[in-house]
Amino acid sequence: MSTDVVTPEPAAGGAHGAGHGVGHHGPKWLAHHFETPTQQFDAAKLGMWAFLAQELLFFSGLFVAYGVYRNWYPEMFKAAAHQLNKEMGATNTVVLLFSSLTIALAVRSAQVGNRKLTGRLILTTIACACMFLVIKFFEYKHKFEGGLLPGRFFHPHAEHLVHGAPALPENTGTFFGIYFMMTGVHGVHVLIGIGVLVWIWIRNNRGDFSKEYFTPVDIVALYWHLVDLVWIYLFPLLYLI
Amino acid sequence: MSTSTDAHHAHGHADDGGVHVHVSSVPFYIAVFLGLLVLTGMTVGQSYVDLGKLNIVIVVLIATMKASLVVTFFMHLRWDNKFNALIFISTIFFIGIFFAYTLHDTDRRGELDPDQNVKVWQKNGERAPGGMEE
Amino acid sequence: MAAITTTPGHHDEVDPNVSYLKSTRGIMSWLTTLDHKRIGVMYLISVSVAFALGGVFALLVRLELFSRGRTIMDADTYNRMFSLHGVVMVFLFIIPSIPAAMGNIILPIQLGAKDVAFPRLNLLSLYVYIFGACFGIYSMINGGVDTGWTFYTPYSSSDPAHGGVGSPSAVIPMTLAAFIMGFSSILTGVNFIATIHKMRAPGLTWRRLTLFTWSLYATSIIQVLATPVLAITLLLLTMERFLGLGIFDPRLGGDPVLFQHFFWFYSHPAVYIMIVPGMGIVSELIATFSRREPVGYMAIAMSSLGLALLGFLVWGHHLFVAGMSEYATMVFSALTFLVAIPSGVKIFNWVATLYKGSISLQSPMLWALSFLFLFTIGGLTGLFLGMLAVDVHLHDTYFVVAHFHYVMVGGTVMGFFGGLHYWWPKFTGKMYEEGLAKVGWFFVFIGFNVTFLTQFVLGSRGMPRRYYDYLPKFEQLHQISTVGSWVLGVGFIIILINLARSLIGGKPAPRNPWGSAALEWMTPSPPPLYNFVKDPVLTRGQYDYQLATDDELYEGYDDPLFPNAKMIAAKRAAEGAGE
Repeated sequence: MSTDVVTPEPAAGGAHGAGHGVGHHGPKWLAHHFETPTQQFDAAKLGMWAFLAQELLFFSGLFVAYGVYRNWYPEMFKAAAHQLNKEMGATNTVVLLFSSLTIALAVRSAQVGNRKLTGRLILTTIACACMFLVIKFFEYKHKFEGGLLPGRFFHPHAEHLVHGAPALPENTGTFFGIYFMMTGVHGVHVLIGIGVLVWIWIRNNRGDFSKEYFTPVDIVALYWHLVDLVWIYLFPLLYLI
Repeated sequence: MSTSTDAHHAHGHADDGGVHVHVSSVPFYIAVFLGLLVLTGMTVGQSYVDLGKLNIVIVVLIATMKASLVVTFFMHLRWDNKFNALIFISTIFFIGIFFAYTLHDTDRRGELDPDQNVKVWQKNGERAPGGMEE
Repeated sequence: MAAITTTPGHHDEVDPNVSYLKSTRGIMSWLTTLDHKRIGVMYLISVSVAFALGGVFALLVRLELFSRGRTIMDADTYNRMFSLHGVVMVFLFIIPSIPAAMGNIILPIQLGAKDVAFPRLNLLSLYVYIFGACFGIYSMINGGVDTGWTFYTPYSSSDPAHGGVGSPSAVIPMTLAAFIMGFSSILTGVNFIATIHKMRAPGLTWRRLTLFTWSLYATSIIQVLATPVLAITLLLLTMERFLGLGIFDPRLGGDPVLFQHFFWFYSHPAVYIMIVPGMGIVSELIATFSRREPVGYMAIAMSSLGLALLGFLVWGHHLFVAGMSEYATMVFSALTFLVAIPSGVKIFNWVATLYKGSISLQSPMLWALSFLFLFTIGGLTGLFLGMLAVDVHLHDTYFVVAHFHYVMVGGTVMGFFGGLHYWWPKFTGKMYEEGLAKVGWFFVFIGFNVTFLTQFVLGSRGMPRRYYDYLPKFEQLHQISTVGSWVLGVGFIIILINLARSLIGGKPAPRNPWGSAALEWMTPSPPPLYNFVKDPVLTRGQYDYQLATDDELYEGYDDPLFPNAKMIAAKRAAEGAGE
């Protein structure tokens, strides 16, 4: 018979001492239930990727709806897409891609411990996000003026439509329903993104981050890249084809 | 491209109280961004040329290339724990299943039974029984 | 000792020998806790209240069906009663029940961890659940919904207040409730995946995980991948109802069957969220009460993952007669047969474990054994329904109702109560009365079968589901079913009384009342704040009864009132005689 089985023993190695209640646990940003900073960082990244997985599936429903209706009414979709402003959409794409660059650079500067640069890059990202929303606002304004609204509110006003574009079939309300849902849900995510970016700017300003601990910046950046990823698909599918 | 001495393993030892990760260089990030701009230009440019059914294929292809750049380099999956990449890939797989099976249905309604979902008999053009009165 | 808050980084001041129930005092210490055990207990209280509420709706439904025509309510109210029964039972009770309540309490302990990976996210998931439930209660106060828990369009999406022709009931608050509660489920899933990957004690390899842990892992994957699709579906439904989006309403150019695709893409994997943790508990119970490692441990573990994967491929079997293309119906029917295989793997392995096991029929084991029997019936009848040609006749009859109650109640609820009785001594530190527990189980078992076996007969003879009135030939069977529901209700009340009494005057529980070799039984009952007095290191598997020492298995067995005492006494007598 073996003697040494599930013997409660002090944790092997690591920053933790013999059992609890004894000695210093580690740096103050190391949570009590983690043994090492690497464990905490890895867990945070893993958890964030699992969360991003669900975000992707959340948007996937909208893309499937898009796919189904595009398949059924290809001409209607083409005609409706002409009413969207390609130039504003492309500008928004470049703005978001640039914001992805700045937040990636912000993570990098946090990794090397450059607090000032990190703060400036986060602010730049926030500015890009706001610019995105402003452009979106003007796009929506144009849709409202033209009566290009979802479902039962679809009443196009000929004088506000794009000239020379194909005529809009009767069921174009479906396209605009999908358009507003997709861009609207995406826009809500941009808004939430601004919120969390402001939060990590504040924390960075406070001096919470260092070469050793930059996890929240990394996590928020991952969220922001997802927002960019969704738009990378949204833009061509709605505006360009 | 990388500056960190720990470039060859994603996570080093934490005895010094910190986490060691791969750090990309600034020029590298900018290069990825320029690549994304080029692809964006390509896709906008292509939109002025109508290739019919190919439009959506090309547009999705270019978008996927852009997405791959963002996911691999900006989101660090290239140097990250392999399991995180597995999470991402399997998510795409399940989204694919959702798409494939739903479109498989909606695309092929009425193929085996031509009278399914129609209000008018195809044989003689008369109104089929049932359904809501307009 | 002065009151100390349970914040990260301050554990140095907490006495590890004081149980988690007593480590801090006062209601605020519970409402702001980060301790997974307390969060799990609060979830348990919430889902139990939900179960009682859903049960009341069920009893009212069955009471109405006791006789033909109007019994106690009109048709419109009846529609709301069965819809609310479904919504409350699915979203407020069964989805969070085992993972959020029992998983939260037990999983970190079975991993030898101090807590889950993200304790604050855990507390947030509880508050999100409660916040969502408030929307549900608001809807109920405003008359509830009459669309069925499935919210099929266009009835649910066409609002008469906006010129539509559908349901006038409080659909939007209810869909928002389910939308919000979905995020609670997602956060729990994210937390558990990270916890199982990153928080295992030294020596706890993947092959030494308990089967309950494996089942929670598979469940968490489903929760993370499937629930967001429900979220977007309900959001689209809300917008359709509010704005007339034109996606699900044929009058606006939409497709109602598309809603069903979207809805069931989540809701079919959701049934695996419901059953897989129940199966995990059954594995624990059968292992402990047969005193052996489960036969085919890896097969059972992998079959949980198999269910998670295959569960995503079969949702169309809910749409066979909805107007889907025939090609799609055939594909989904074939895939549905595949998904029965992992469940079969488990049943065969459990039965093999029982064979030549050292079986003791204590109350938790009774629940596990009834699971085997009842889930088999439920699962097999699922196969009947998966057969395309048969489903054309059985769809939307009581056969379907009986099938899913056999798997959800005969399966998950049996697992839930089995786990509740099994782990009750661990997280409360009290023993309930064994005799009364067995009586409660008996009433539940008999009541359940009387209620639902008759419904298989009703369904195959043509009684449609969700119908307020019915033909005279069905009346007798309906009456039998209703009487069964009363017996079932009595059983649950007996269990409630038994468990409540244990909290007031129950005997203190020993560390390991069931003689199990798993890790959660190696720490005091109830556990200290950080789960273990000293961080555990594993050198054997958690079902390894050969390597487990007597001390680990039989500590505190001198009291003859405790189970296994006779066996231990005989063993010690034999050893004493041998010296």
